[in-house]
Amino acid sequence: MKHLIPKQIIEHPFEYLSLALFFGGAVFAFFFFTYDAHSQRRVVYFTSAGYLLWSLYHHYRRGDLHLSIFIEYLVLAALAIVVALFTLV
Amino acid sequence: MFRKLKLLFIPHPANNHRAILLQPLSLALLIGVYLLNQSFLRAFAAVRPGVLGYSSEITIQKVFDQTNQQRANEGLPQLKFNSTLAKSAEAKANDMFQYNYWAHNSPQGKSPWDFFKSAGYQYVTAGENLARDFYDTDTLLSAWMKSPTHRANIVSPKYQEIGIAVVNGTLNGVKTTLVVQHFGTPLDGLVRDDPVQNFVASEQESAVQGVVSLPASNLISPHQISQIVGLVLFGIIIGVLFVDGYLALTRKTQRFTGSNTGHIGFLIIIFILLIFSQQGSIF
Repeated sequence: MKHLIPKQIIEHPFEYLSLALFFGGAVFAFFFFTYDAHSQRRVVYFTSAGYLLWSLYHHYRRGDLHLSIFIEYLVLAALAIVVALFTLV
Repeated sequence: MFRKLKLLFIPHPANNHRAILLQPLSLALLIGVYLLNQSFLRAFAAVRPGVLGYSSEITIQKVFDQTNQQRANEGLPQLKFNSTLAKSAEAKANDMFQYNYWAHNSPQGKSPWDFFKSAGYQYVTAGENLARDFYDTDTLLSAWMKSPTHRANIVSPKYQEIGIAVVNGTLNGVKTTLVVQHFGTPLDGLVRDDPVQNFVASEQESAVQGVVSLPASNLISPHQISQIVGLVLFGIIIGVLFVDGYLALTRKTQRFTGSNTGHIGFLIIIFILLIFSQQGSIF
């Protein structure tokens, strides 16, 4: 079973734990603002920005912070923001 | 053909050990596809107004009863229904449909207080709650009660009277129901108690010519379309990330990419938020 756990999680458990806690906070904030689409959109923007910042720290620590990797995170965050922008209205 | 499809979803030396769908250019293309879908929806709403929309079973009586129920729960006196306030609320809803806006202040610079004055209501204190796209009164009231500012109007001891409008119409090409609550305390101190039954949900003619409104049950919800397209997109990406991550792990592939675990976590969170996104908004 252990071989199915990605190596990166075993090597950086606290980074992934902090990410999980951050996502948990985002879910809590989203439900706290039920029916307030403006605030819910802000939660998605904040979560996307937070994930982008986490990726910078995570890959810097791993020593593989490259532009191509940053762009991958940037595009994923942009996708989440675009979908939230049109769904949470 | 099959090989190309495989490269789209499965990591392989030919796609640099990363499913093509997960590469930044493909993800950017998916953003383009989503934006194209939204542009199509907007163009459709403009060309065929009244086809997209939200059905509703909200009535003035239900909103009035449930508002007073909330006040009773707080031990506050009941609000009396005032027909002048109801007229100002209806004028506000009609104005939003006529000038295609969704706000307390109109693009022409009219504030809520202008509608109170135009209807002839002189007040000591007054307030306004707005809602759109809700299907039922229970959900609408719980949305208002969850918002501190709207809740403050509903359970304010300052107000003695209320006027409510529930108006169906077409806003930016989308058929919907606007609900307006106008609260007030009369300047002359004479609190009226008009019958609510005289006021029924009304239908506002759209400012846009040639509106063909479908029956409420046949309306296609733009929120639902956006939600489903978003969920399908995220579902596909999450699935491909799982397969890509699993194969990279079992094959022990070394590559320079983002963290699949992080991506899956992030997208699952957004997926959950999309599932629970609600139809209906308040202002």
